[in-house]
Amino acid sequence: MATTVLGPIELEVITGTIRSAEVEIEAAVERAARSPMIRDQHDYRVGLYDARGRKLTGRSYGSLIEPVFEFFGDDIHPGDVFFWNDPYNSAGSCGHVPDLCTTVPIFHGDDRLLGFAQVFGHHDDVGGCVPGSLPVQVHDQWGEGLVVPPIKLYDRGVLNETAFRILERNSRLPEHLRGDIDSEIGACRLGARRLTELADRYGVDVLEGGFDAIIENCARTVRDELLPKIADGVYTFEDYVECDGFTRKLYAMRLTMTKTADRILLDFTGTDPEAEGPINWAIDYCEGRFVRKWMGPVLRCLADSPERAAEIDINEGILDVIDVVFPPKGTLVTPHFGRPTGLRFFILIRALGIFAGALAKATGGRMPADHETIRIWGLHSRDTEGKLSLFREVLGGGGPGRPWADGSDVVHIVPNSRNLPAEFSEQRYPVLVESLELRSDSAGAGEFRGGFGYQKKIRSLRSSTLLSNADRSELATYGVNGGKAGWPYGIEVARGDGSTESLPGMIDGVPIAPDDLVTVWTTGGGGWGDPLRRDPERVRYDVAVGLVTEDAARREYGVVVTRVQGKVEVDEVATSELRDTLRAGRGAVPMFDRGAYFESVKADGGLVRPDGWADPDDVHAVVDPATPAG
Amino acid sequence: MPGSLRVSVDTGGTFTDVIAVDSDSGDLYAVKTASDREDPSRALVTGVEKVLGLAGRGFDDVSLLVHGSTTATNAVLEHEFDGIGLLVTQGFRHLIEIARQSVPDGYGNSFFWVKPPRLVPLHLVREVPERILYDGAVARELDEDAVVAAAEELVAEGVNRLAVCLLHSYANPDHERRIGELLAQRFPELFVSLSSVVLPEYREYERAMTTLLDVMVKPYCRTYLGNAEAELGRRAGPRPFLIMQSNGGVVTAKAAGERPVNMLLSGPAGGVLGAIEAARAAGISDIITLDVGGTSTDVALIEDLTVRLTSESVIESYPVKIPMIDIATVGTGGGSLAWVGPNQSLKVGPRSAGAVPGPIAYGRGGTEPTVTDAATVLNRFPASLVGGELVLDRDSARAAFEEFGRRFGLDADEVAAGVLEVAAAGQVAGIRQVSTSKGRDPAAYTLVAFGGAGPLLAAQVADFLGMTRVLVPPYPGNLSAFGLQVTDIKRDLVRTYVSPLEPRVADDLDVIWRELEEAGTAELRAEGVEDDDVEVIRGADARYVGEGYEVAVSVPAGLTGRAALDATIAAFHAEHHRIYGFSYDGKQDVEVVNLRVQAVGRLHRPPHRSRYEAAGAAAPAPTTRDVYWPGEGWRPCAIHDRAALAPGTSVAGPGVVEEYGATVVVPPGWQVTCDPAANLILTKG
Repeated sequence: MATTVLGPIELEVITGTIRSAEVEIEAAVERAARSPMIRDQHDYRVGLYDARGRKLTGRSYGSLIEPVFEFFGDDIHPGDVFFWNDPYNSAGSCGHVPDLCTTVPIFHGDDRLLGFAQVFGHHDDVGGCVPGSLPVQVHDQWGEGLVVPPIKLYDRGVLNETAFRILERNSRLPEHLRGDIDSEIGACRLGARRLTELADRYGVDVLEGGFDAIIENCARTVRDELLPKIADGVYTFEDYVECDGFTRKLYAMRLTMTKTADRILLDFTGTDPEAEGPINWAIDYCEGRFVRKWMGPVLRCLADSPERAAEIDINEGILDVIDVVFPPKGTLVTPHFGRPTGLRFFILIRALGIFAGALAKATGGRMPADHETIRIWGLHSRDTEGKLSLFREVLGGGGPGRPWADGSDVVHIVPNSRNLPAEFSEQRYPVLVESLELRSDSAGAGEFRGGFGYQKKIRSLRSSTLLSNADRSELATYGVNGGKAGWPYGIEVARGDGSTESLPGMIDGVPIAPDDLVTVWTTGGGGWGDPLRRDPERVRYDVAVGLVTEDAARREYGVVVTRVQGKVEVDEVATSELRDTLRAGRGAVPMFDRGAYFESVKADGGLVRPDGWADPDDVHAVVDPATPAG
Repeated sequence: MPGSLRVSVDTGGTFTDVIAVDSDSGDLYAVKTASDREDPSRALVTGVEKVLGLAGRGFDDVSLLVHGSTTATNAVLEHEFDGIGLLVTQGFRHLIEIARQSVPDGYGNSFFWVKPPRLVPLHLVREVPERILYDGAVARELDEDAVVAAAEELVAEGVNRLAVCLLHSYANPDHERRIGELLAQRFPELFVSLSSVVLPEYREYERAMTTLLDVMVKPYCRTYLGNAEAELGRRAGPRPFLIMQSNGGVVTAKAAGERPVNMLLSGPAGGVLGAIEAARAAGISDIITLDVGGTSTDVALIEDLTVRLTSESVIESYPVKIPMIDIATVGTGGGSLAWVGPNQSLKVGPRSAGAVPGPIAYGRGGTEPTVTDAATVLNRFPASLVGGELVLDRDSARAAFEEFGRRFGLDADEVAAGVLEVAAAGQVAGIRQVSTSKGRDPAAYTLVAFGGAGPLLAAQVADFLGMTRVLVPPYPGNLSAFGLQVTDIKRDLVRTYVSPLEPRVADDLDVIWRELEEAGTAELRAEGVEDDDVEVIRGADARYVGEGYEVAVSVPAGLTGRAALDATIAAFHAEHHRIYGFSYDGKQDVEVVNLRVQAVGRLHRPPHRSRYEAAGAAAPAPTTRDVYWPGEGWRPCAIHDRAALAPGTSVAGPGVVEEYGATVVVPPGWQVTCDPAANLILTKG
């Protein structure tokens, strides 16, 4: 179909092709990669970009192309493959060293640069002082693993074998590394072909006009469909990481959100100083383009339905809506060069949480509560031949209660992430999975409660070493609009001698003896809305199936149940009375609940805010959520 | 004495297609009748009576009946979940609630995504004290009293279908078997499916889900298959009554009722098999099938005329891990609606006008523009369809597209052409799922187009993909029912056996393969297949040590011991390279996960002779009609009656070839040739 003008038909085909190409690239990565972290836990991102490095795809947040321009200028040719994992030389796009980023330029003909295809994935091991390359107690970047600034891994089609050898030599699992990189390059090339085919069909000018329109459509959707649901004004919110691996205290990330008719300004001023340990996140580069694209998708929660939310792709167009301001160097989000960043995923998830919290204040509470879904725990050991066995899991947590539904149980924020089947784990690793369950009462109470977290009991069958990279082991996922906080993460070891050792969330190097039993509990999601408004029948069902205890039903929901011949039934009269009593006995319902640990730290003076920074939690729940807080 | 007519019945959601082929003369008769959702056997019997009427024959003349159906899938899609229970190993009662902790689609969707209803609610799941390890060792004996107590509770709760899925039962089915016996004794009315029977493969969640789906559709399938067999038997006496399975083979109705999950997703299998036969007749071995129905399009990639199976299918969000033909489905078909999406975008599908009200041009009350209407506006269709039964209301379709085009600042012709372009692009995405996503370049394949609307868009779809050859088989609208006639009896057997592929395990492999072969052969024998017609094919699912995904390979016949082991490893490296574009031959170790055997009972094919041959001389001469082509506008084109294109005839596009039930569009730059087997071959350039 020979065309010289971009019309709705060409735009629809270009949009649809780019959207399906993103899925196609993902499938190609997943099918050929080697690291379980990529294949099963799905911890990788893909993207297609135009020649200016603008992101066209929108399911995935992706990295950036700017490092290519910065390091190579015009030295971009067919057959090149760019490669890096350097958190301080990647324009803020690469958060920690296990994320290896592969970028392939796309050409039409020999010399017309059309754009880029990019894949980055979380590899099993890139060296450093702990297997898995996510050490908890590390003082700088050099202890975390091999750091590669932007290089050409292929130069005009020729492999830089030297670089590849150095990479492989520095990994404890070189076979995985090689397979992962091969799969990523292959997947990028597949994606590249989709853009060249579109250029063949419609011509480069029409295609590039399509790129402009795709980006503009994203901005328009956000401005016209989502922003009107947010009341103009200035809103603050904050949230915390509880430990940096060395010191247990509240590390606050602070946000001031200014909403005007067609823009949102996100200002991180007030965020706490950088940490000694690996919870820093270097994003103050390149106008914060990475973090703006990272946080933008939270706005989708304001769509008319969850189905509609899932349709909205956030691409480069979000930069026309969201601006960002960073504090000076030296904070958690503006760390000095070389500060460790391995476990930056806590602060990265907090970024979404503080945006959602500020939006809750600006929408009369009509935002999901909090959920914490990225944490890694594992066991590693070596067999008699010295071969490393690295059993690591990203276990999900309870999803947030929302104005439209209970939180989903044990979900992972990373799409299509999969847990490890017990039948796989037992074949592959020296472990026995005793049970895998939802943890009773872990969900934050609410009119729509949070989702439940896991309770996993697993026995190590040989001497091994335990690691746990988890935040929210004391602090809880916050509840919104009267909803309660969920339960935090926990991990303990029952020893052969009958003793039980409760471990901190952030630890590695814990020796485990054969037959020690490890129990891991993951976070429940925060609840949404007043639990005393929850339909008693739904509470009854949760009690009947053992997910909520009778005690919690009374205490949290004011629902009294009785058992009649084994059947759980609601005592309507007692429930009504109890709910009246509970309502009378409490004051105004707060908008947010952060759980008992937070309250105790606060009471002990452990929460120190900057001068002039008011308590952002000082807001009440909105009983009729249709009415904005004003 | 059984006669010479082979009858096949393809039951869809709306229509039941029936074909009868005379295995002596090759004559073919086709009819259509309305499906009966409540009891599909009624429409099945009606359809058979109808086709016999058309052929002027009686039930005595029937030699064989083959039935394919989408009804089991519909039962799942309609969420008929009530009364299903599940027994699991102690410690795992939340297996189904947890699933794989996955949230679909985009990053951060966990904020708003709501987990779908489970096939079995938590209050109907019970734990059983027992434990088996991955190597089959019993770590904890089965508590039989607890089994009976749990079943009593569930039955009291209204459970009438019960799935059983214990950990590692693929490695040792004893506990599940014992539960099966206990349930059969105590609760003979209960429908039961055991995971070690349905799917003896590792991964507990997927095995449990497949077992739940099996037991879910069991009463429905058994009842209607039993009714159909009884009714047909009453009229025709005992005749082989074979049921299409999702792996592209058939089994007896009784065997189908034992493992009805194998009927799920068998709907598109007939079309794929029919397409393979057409390609075989044309001397083409590598094809991509394009089966365009009213609401959706099914595509499959076939190499060497051999179907490739996948175990990674899903129905809605529910995994079905049984081997089935690797098919991708996209939500655009002939009845798909065109609409204005967000940001003034032009969308086609997935909503469809269906059979009722149907496209505007059908004049049955449809008011929203569809793909079929777009083709009508552009004069791609004749004035009437299905032999004159359906007169197209071109004026109403045009008026609708004038209105629709105004939303975009386009005229009716431009927007109608755009709707076809967008619909074709949707089908292209489906083809990429089965080709480029698996390392295949579609340009190297022939597109075989069928279904009511397949030949309409095929050349346009091919253009997108750089494909230069399209094959349209005879009677493209009835190909699925025809495909049911050209299949074999197939049983897939599998056993999980996890081990590095080292010389020391060669004997173990032999033993397991042999056991599976014997079991498969015995099953075929029980279905009346002569030993001479049995073929067994060994296979394995293998992976590089450390991977979580397997590649299925076939092992050449006649090899045993070390030779079979080496052949398996070699086949694995080659297949890995074929799929992913690289392999680690000599560099990385390979391990086997599952051993497979497919037992095939060969059925004799009918001679296939097309009626087009005879019709050639008497058919009408070509006419001329103005047809719209994007970029060129309206121009007079030759309109051919398919029957007039004798084998060897070749005509240049642009043009249209018309026949009963389908319209073949030949765009500018393409030409069409009729091959000796009455296939139309469209080629570009």
